[in-house]
Amino acid sequence: SIDTDFSGNFDFLIDGEFLRVSLDRYLEQSAVSSETVLQIEYVERHPAPKPEDSLNHDDWVSAVHATRDCILTGSYDNTLHLWTKEGDLLHTIPGHTHPVKCVSWINHEAGKEGSFLSGSHDQTVLLWHWKELGNEVEAVHCCRGHAGSVDCVAVNQSGDKFCTGSWDKMLKLWSAELSPTDSEEIMDAEDIPKKKKKMSRAGMTTRVPILTLSGHTEGVSGIVWLGEDQVFTASWDHTLRLWDLQKAEQVTALQGNKVFLSVAYSTRSGLLVTGSADRHVRLWDPRSSEGSIVKCTYTSHQGWVSSVAWSQTSEHQFISGSYDNLMKLWDKRSPKAPLYNLVGHTDKILSVDWSIPSLLLSGGADNQLRIFQYEEVTV
Amino acid sequence: MISSKRKLDAVNKNNDILNSGVDLFVNEPPDEEDVSDQDEDSSSSDDDNVNDDGDSDSSQYSGLEEEVASSSLDDSSDEEEQGSDSDDDDDDGEDLMLSDSVDNIAIGTNAKEPAVVDEYEQDSSDEEDIRNTVGNIPMEWYKNYKHIGYDIEGRKLIKPEHGDNLDDFLNKADDPNYWRTVHNRLTGQNIVLSEEDVQLVQNLLGKTHPTQSTEEQYAPWVDWFSSEVMIHPLSNRPEHKRSFIPSKWEKLKVGQMVHALKMGWMKPSKTQEEQEKEEEEQDDKFYMIWNEDEETEISKRYRQHIPAPKTSLPGHAESYNPPPEYLFTKEEEQKWRDQEPEQRRMNFMPQKFSNLRTVPGYSNFIRERFERCLDLYLCPRQRKTRMNVDPEDLIPRLPKPKDLQPFPTTQSLVYLGHTDMVRCISVDPSGQWLVSGSDDCSVRVWEVSTGRCMKTLTVKEKVKGIAWNPNPAVCLLAIVWEKTVVLLNPGVGDKLQLSNTDNMLASQTQAESSADSKVAVSWSVCEGSEHDQGYRLKLTHAHDVSQFTWHSKGDYFATVMPDGQTRSVLIHQLSRRRSQNPFSKSKGSVQCVRFHPLRPFLFVATQRYVRVYNLLKQELSKKLQANCKWVSSMAVHAEGDNVILGSYDSKMSWFDLDLSTKPYQTMKHHKKAIRQVCYHKKYPLFASASDDCSLIVCHGRVYNDMLQNPLIVPVKVLRGHKAEKGVGILDCVFHPSQPWIFSAGADTTIRLYT
Repeated sequence: SIDTDFSGNFDFLIDGEFLRVSLDRYLEQSAVSSETVLQIEYVERHPAPKPEDSLNHDDWVSAVHATRDCILTGSYDNTLHLWTKEGDLLHTIPGHTHPVKCVSWINHEAGKEGSFLSGSHDQTVLLWHWKELGNEVEAVHCCRGHAGSVDCVAVNQSGDKFCTGSWDKMLKLWSAELSPTDSEEIMDAEDIPKKKKKMSRAGMTTRVPILTLSGHTEGVSGIVWLGEDQVFTASWDHTLRLWDLQKAEQVTALQGNKVFLSVAYSTRSGLLVTGSADRHVRLWDPRSSEGSIVKCTYTSHQGWVSSVAWSQTSEHQFISGSYDNLMKLWDKRSPKAPLYNLVGHTDKILSVDWSIPSLLLSGGADNQLRIFQYEEVTV
Repeated sequence: MISSKRKLDAVNKNNDILNSGVDLFVNEPPDEEDVSDQDEDSSSSDDDNVNDDGDSDSSQYSGLEEEVASSSLDDSSDEEEQGSDSDDDDDDGEDLMLSDSVDNIAIGTNAKEPAVVDEYEQDSSDEEDIRNTVGNIPMEWYKNYKHIGYDIEGRKLIKPEHGDNLDDFLNKADDPNYWRTVHNRLTGQNIVLSEEDVQLVQNLLGKTHPTQSTEEQYAPWVDWFSSEVMIHPLSNRPEHKRSFIPSKWEKLKVGQMVHALKMGWMKPSKTQEEQEKEEEEQDDKFYMIWNEDEETEISKRYRQHIPAPKTSLPGHAESYNPPPEYLFTKEEEQKWRDQEPEQRRMNFMPQKFSNLRTVPGYSNFIRERFERCLDLYLCPRQRKTRMNVDPEDLIPRLPKPKDLQPFPTTQSLVYLGHTDMVRCISVDPSGQWLVSGSDDCSVRVWEVSTGRCMKTLTVKEKVKGIAWNPNPAVCLLAIVWEKTVVLLNPGVGDKLQLSNTDNMLASQTQAESSADSKVAVSWSVCEGSEHDQGYRLKLTHAHDVSQFTWHSKGDYFATVMPDGQTRSVLIHQLSRRRSQNPFSKSKGSVQCVRFHPLRPFLFVATQRYVRVYNLLKQELSKKLQANCKWVSSMAVHAEGDNVILGSYDSKMSWFDLDLSTKPYQTMKHHKKAIRQVCYHKKYPLFASASDDCSLIVCHGRVYNDMLQNPLIVPVKVLRGHKAEKGVGILDCVFHPSQPWIFSAGADTTIRLYT
């Protein structure tokens, strides 16, 4: 028997789904005979995330990504912001000429240095080097090649390559090395005219993509790495495509029927979640052979789901941010209702991030980056 | 042997009776042979002839036969006899049927028998013994008495002497009649049964008729008083003398007829030959078999006769002495009085009179007759065939909107920023950017996916029109205000594309030809601060420009100047910086022009007509009748064969140019004026925006084969805008690649429905 003191802190699972109604109703709804034996699993209920901080920006916060103790945000005022996870602004980094659409950390060594990427409407991805000791941020490389706004960027596990997706329907693979490769130097020396050299910022080299993959018929809106060689892209053309970068070809395409706005991959569970323009969050299993099958649909949002992110520690939990001003914390076993609605934004949420397990981050069109404290459940 | 002898006696006895008795039966045949003789004489049918089983009895009757034959009137031939015999087997059934009646007759004759001396002494019938009158009681009750009951006069009936068992035994041995001696318990007497009785008992045991022999039972039926006329009279009496005197009345009658014949009043009946001839003549006449089928007007009228409506029969309530439940209570009476005469359940009040004499004259009689006459006068004279059609069948079967997805269903994004009504919107060919022109004299560029206003351009006047160049390789925006059309590089999207656009425009500068003086449009290249703002080319017209449209290739564009008279429509070519006026005459105030997406046609909508001009041949190709009062907007399908028109009288018309110059379908879903209509480039969708703040999205599938007409199904009404100064939605445009629609409202917002 369960002590009454703790009874409120448990969630019950039947057949891998959260029990959200009384047991009677459940039996009635699922037409299960009351004579059968039901396996009920219980887990400790996660406490509600607490709103902790709100970091004010000058313009819409379009992208957010965090490492262990630093938060990087991109904004529509063409700048990047670097924050500590306590909420102190370390840097405001100008560099782009158009609104920033996506940011991503490559690596960060606490106290020493770090590097990160930012993609923008100006069709470039900038590779930044941050020397924490001197507190200097420097744009090392300007990755040129896209013919549209760079909407998504993702760095692989080892941190030596990254992929970008753009409105120009292309998927491009780039080197994430800080040190310039040979070809770049040659290019710098020969190809770039003097006029352009002047325009480009001092000390910044132009980097070209290693690989360009075309296949999508509309803009690419989300990108994730599945391993060292494979990336998954989500697009406005209603498809999810799996690419093999080694062979430089498309492996499979999963056909949806609505525009995909975001995709996230969990290394723990090996599952994908996508946010769509039809306010649903969908769960996909890229490993299943009949790939077009949507494993589950999570319906609770009232607007476009602009961004999704998996938990780093739990294979069940993910968050989604939507244009209905809500961030929702989901358990993949509870398709009917989210675990928690995280209220706070007063305008569209454009980006969410859960890279720091204890912090839920969301940036929105209300110029705020909201931070929610999330307590890990120690089992 | 004994039985047969007895039977013979009985039969003889019967015969005696018959022969000696009634006159009528003098000829009655005692057996079958005589009957058949008789039959032969009277020429009656032989059906009733009685058969014989052919047992030993028949031989015994042989003696009788002679005796009876002597009394019969006529001898018969033997052949006939045999002939009748041969029928025997067939007639068994009928004989059995007849047996009952024969029996009755026989019994009757027995009863009348006068020869019986003492009925009571020998009677052994089932009739109640009338000598002992004690009734139907057990006779044991008299066991200990000397008497056994009482007779009818109350005297005791003494039990007769009864011998003991020994006597009984001796009697058994000695008495020859012992076997037919029975004991009557009622009288205590021993009765010796007569021969007839024994015969009767035996007949009963043998389940035959108790008294009659087989022959008697099945005596043949002689139909004496049949309709058959006998050749010999039953009586020999000569005819009466008066039967020879001719009848006076008959003579009179004959006299009259003779007179009539003489006068020709009566015609003698035709001879048989003449009659036959006539009949033949009649037979030869042929006639139309189906003649009757063509009904004459009169017979039709008779057949369709409608009887006059009948008055209903009077009920109990109309009786002068109705049952009390028909009489009105006070409340009912009051109610009846309060009601209008038409509403009353019955048009009189039931009244009770003690008798018919006291019933007064009916005061309503005249009026009632008059109403009846009116009824007759106004009753229907013709049968009206009512159409029995299910209203469901009249509605065309359309697919459910659910099956026609995708189409926009919900409002997803609102683009906020304008401060006055947004008059026009346009989406760039890639679908990433949306531009809007507003009455607040600004043009805004929006990011479609987020609703972010990326750029704001302030112009001098209220923006009347805005259009993105449909060529995806070029990034060029046309903005219309007052007399000016500005081609603008918006500075969003691909940088390479932007610079290419600039280069293209710059290279064309050299190719500029001198402007046509007739057209009165001046092209000018923007420089300086205007160039920095993005302005590239400026076209200044002579009059206010109300509408602007690009050709699908993006090189030509057309402008409408409603006040321009003959120059109300101008076609401009971007690459050659040239303007021309295609029409020398004005055909009414032009509302809207559109280019055919594939062929060199121009659709020009005036207030009531749409004229389709072939620009190459420079001739009028078609003239569509809009069927509305004032055309507000027009859109051409991507294939170019279908056109929709929106009008200020809230009608939307779909024209299939291959089909007709009249609308293929007219939809009146909106409650107020339609401001804009548009087609989707890829999906089979079209929409209309109206002042009633609703945006109606319809599924409009156009089939490639010429056989199938377009399928038009309204699928969704989208709401969200609010009316400002009586204006609702001013413009709507579909997303180029997604099934989404943008609407620009007078409430300063632009909304995206997905």
